[in-house]
Amino acid sequence: MRRSGLKYVRVRDYLRSLVTHELAVGDVIPSERLLCERFGVSRMTVRQAVDALVVDGLLEREQGRGTFVAPTKVDLEVRLASFGEDMLRRGMAPSSKVLAAEEVTASPDIADALELLPGERVFYLHRVRYADGKPMAIEQTWLPSRLAPGLFDGGTPDSIYRELRRRGLDPDWGEDTVGAAEIDAEDADLLGLRTGSAVLRLARRTFAGEVACAYSRSSYRADRYELWVPLRAPRRALTPRAALDEQVEDGPRTENKPPVSGAVP
Amino acid sequence: MMDQAANILAALGGVANIIDIEPCTTRLRSEVHDPTLVDVPALRAAGAHGVMINGHVVQVVVGPSVDTLATDLEELM
Repeated sequence: MRRSGLKYVRVRDYLRSLVTHELAVGDVIPSERLLCERFGVSRMTVRQAVDALVVDGLLEREQGRGTFVAPTKVDLEVRLASFGEDMLRRGMAPSSKVLAAEEVTASPDIADALELLPGERVFYLHRVRYADGKPMAIEQTWLPSRLAPGLFDGGTPDSIYRELRRRGLDPDWGEDTVGAAEIDAEDADLLGLRTGSAVLRLARRTFAGEVACAYSRSSYRADRYELWVPLRAPRRALTPRAALDEQVEDGPRTENKPPVSGAVP
Repeated sequence: MMDQAANILAALGGVANIIDIEPCTTRLRSEVHDPTLVDVPALRAAGAHGVMINGHVVQVVVGPSVDTLATDLEELM
């Protein structure tokens, strides 16, 4: 059992390296027969390895045609740019389908995220986001009505961040909370996925200085996106000086005097 | 700014309650001796946009001013 498990990992990792370093998008992968011979494994083991990479979104299976290298995933950067801005920067054409655009009363969780009092009004926008005509994400956005009076008066705005900037609020920081989830039937339909497919769930609070100006919840299809996070070693932590002083004072004292059991300064 | 640092420090239970404070991009991530001494409403009043307490770790969302706050906190500690 354990051996076959290891064999499957070997085939999978070989294919992964092949896909990312030797083959191009749209190329066909080596046949099952070839892989069986090369690794001395059963067809079932090879299929298991290929399945794993299909689920990961590295490979695409087309009925009756074969298994191909899937388009490269978009790296979902944790930076404060809107979907549209980000797609344009990558040379893709963003578009949206608006599912809802209305003014509503903030529910307690939305009020909390936007630092509003319960019952305050918010603009709510629910959109499917596309890149080059392909559905990529579903996004719900809320923003305080008093920050953007008449937001929907001229129709649904293309970019929330642009609307905020026009009103003198320049989004300059925020926080994303990212989790993995399975998509429900309704959202799956909108993104052209099977129910239960993996998505990246993002909850974002956007601030302009000290003002919480937008809150959004998005589902990004996991077969097209991967999260990219830059890392650095943590900054030196601050510690109370008193604690350091004690250590310094304790040092010489214990050196000069013999230790006295039970003596506490 | 110095006032804000002082208020945050007091709301974390004072210097005596602090093990360490680490500035993390948008948050002050602090480890405290006694989490029950942490005053969440006081932290919010001091300008925190969120407070998460997990065991002895208290995270205070302050935004990009975290670096200046850290400098001020260092002086107060």
